[in-house]
Amino acid sequence: MEAWNLIIGNPVLNVLIALSHILGGSFGLAIIALTIMVRLATWPLNKRQLNSTKALQEMQPKIQELQKKYGKNQQKLQQEMMKLYKEAGVNPLGCLWPMLVQFPIWIALYQAIMRALATTPENLLDLAGRLYSWATVNQAIPLNSHFLWLDLGGRGDIVLAIIVGGTMWVQQKMTQAPTVDPRQQSTSRIMLLMMPLMFGLLSLSFPAGLGLYWAVSNIIGIVTQYFFTGGWGYLNLRSPLQPTPAKGK
Amino acid sequence: MFVVSSLRAHIMHSQRLRNMVSLEVAGWPPKGLFAVIRSPRVDTIPYLSYRMKQPKALILAVIAFLPLVLVSCIGATQPAGGWAGAVVHDGIIYAGTKDGRVVAINSSTRNLEWSYSTTPVSAPSSGLSCGQTSIPTAIYGTPVVDRDMVYIGTYSGQVLALNMLARSQNSTFPQQRYGEWEWDCPIDSAKSNAIVAGLLVGEDAIYVGSSNGRVYSLDKEFGDLNWQSKVLDETHRKLWTSPVIQGNTLYVSTYDGHVYALGLETGQLLDWSFESEAGFVSSPVVYEDHIYVGSFDLYLYAIEIGSNVSIWKFPQEKPAGKWFWASPIVNEGIVYAGCLDGRLYAIEAGTGEKLWEFPGASPIVSSPVLMDNLLIIIDESGTVYVFDVNTEFGDEAVPLRTISIGASVRSSFCAQDDLIYIRGEDNSIYVVDIGRGEIVEGWPLSLTIED
Repeated sequence: MEAWNLIIGNPVLNVLIALSHILGGSFGLAIIALTIMVRLATWPLNKRQLNSTKALQEMQPKIQELQKKYGKNQQKLQQEMMKLYKEAGVNPLGCLWPMLVQFPIWIALYQAIMRALATTPENLLDLAGRLYSWATVNQAIPLNSHFLWLDLGGRGDIVLAIIVGGTMWVQQKMTQAPTVDPRQQSTSRIMLLMMPLMFGLLSLSFPAGLGLYWAVSNIIGIVTQYFFTGGWGYLNLRSPLQPTPAKGK
Repeated sequence: MFVVSSLRAHIMHSQRLRNMVSLEVAGWPPKGLFAVIRSPRVDTIPYLSYRMKQPKALILAVIAFLPLVLVSCIGATQPAGGWAGAVVHDGIIYAGTKDGRVVAINSSTRNLEWSYSTTPVSAPSSGLSCGQTSIPTAIYGTPVVDRDMVYIGTYSGQVLALNMLARSQNSTFPQQRYGEWEWDCPIDSAKSNAIVAGLLVGEDAIYVGSSNGRVYSLDKEFGDLNWQSKVLDETHRKLWTSPVIQGNTLYVSTYDGHVYALGLETGQLLDWSFESEAGFVSSPVVYEDHIYVGSFDLYLYAIEIGSNVSIWKFPQEKPAGKWFWASPIVNEGIVYAGCLDGRLYAIEAGTGEKLWEFPGASPIVSSPVLMDNLLIIIDESGTVYVFDVNTEFGDEAVPLRTISIGASVRSSFCAQDDLIYIRGEDNSIYVVDIGRGEIVEGWPLSLTIED
């Protein structure tokens, strides 16, 4: 635990508080700025992932063609699709690393929000032991926990939950490829709802600051995806076999 | 978040590729959370039942869900447990306990003279749970004894006036014929009405700062509200520092960096106030028209009442390592200030020059106590240091005695007749003989003998 605090927990906490001071004492803006910094830091990994997503979107006509052709022979379909992915240099499990990188940041951010806002005297005293001797950091204490309508240290409300769930749904929908298999379609529909629903519920249980991070991260993801893959992807999908054509390259 | 949606999309692609994995294999979310959701295809089988055939997808699912579980399990916050100190009056030790009681213990026999349990409070459960849980009321301020009454403030926003006789007879509280009363602080559109700072007991009134940002004056005899101040700290609201009286004025320091002067009789803000860029963390101390107060910016400030500029801030060369959390004490023109960086400083009150310092090993959370010519400090690790203030130290002081009680200490302590009384964070009372430099007694409050 000490190593965790030394390497990740305390640096995230201090950077968050320093950002708050730099941004005029707004803890909410500090969370947004930190989210952007995290996204920039993980950009090389995300870029690889976006490339992969883009390639998958471009492969959709071929995939659907294979599904039509070998729909009744699953083994053959597997072989052909694997061959297709290999030829395109796409790794369907390639998103593992960016995800692994972000998870410790989620935990550190959750801890940083709770520690920085110091809702009890014990927390305030504990905070003193974690702060670096930077004037910027110490002058920012105690932080103002209010941002827009949110109390960042308190549990998120229904509005935040809807924003988190909604933005996540949009982002997922942009990347969800169509399928002709009825079983996969139903699975796909459930999956599309499951994660937004789950994160929406989590936003009601966790500090609003963490919900803010999720919402901002989703929005950045949507914007990045829009510009990088050249459009809304599968968001405007009318039929499983007619994905919205991507704009540009 | 992008990676999560990407993960989901890629699992789907992987599924098409191998026809081995469907969402339900991911075990996401866990059973119970969405158990009501059933497969549109197979109504009799819970849709999210575990049908794992693909180890990689399982690994991915576990990796994705694990942090959420960890987040809910790793304790980033500490609940309000309280650190009420001990005070001795006529051979009786009065202290607040971790389980929300105010106790009176005979210092000679260790017998429990009386005990009063405050009402437990409901608090939100931590992590993923949305429920409420009942916890003991935390007590931070040290009890104040005045004649036959014991006054205490609680984290649930109550001020209690307990009569020693009524409590020793275990009468129903409050016994009005013995002058007992309780007062509930209003929340007043704030998040909390918690009372963290110690009460200030004056001639006829009690003064209390609340987490709703106001200072209140209560009638000492009946608990009636004399006055309430305006909200002094709109941003943070928390008034976790004790006010201090000088003449007819009450001085209050706030987390938004102000020292306010309030009329003692009316609670009205007086013309003078002091503003600093950083917030004030410690309660102010007044000595000869000067206010000494610790700040979050790692300095101790000396402020002349009536002036808008601090006369000095300490340290003069570079900031201290941590905050000056504890209030300093001033004696014969010397300010003694403990710091969370573990150092005790002796500072010339007029000039702010350092006379000497003592580097302790652990943060100093409690204010120093002076007993005759002996200066006593206790650091958070529970080590008691005793200094003779008449000794000519060089740059670095050498303690006369060093005694470890073996328990963490955050609360204030009191000294009487060569003995100091300490309440440790292990919820025990320790009695230390300063003259002999040893612990006389130490016992858990839970083992206090009932009469």
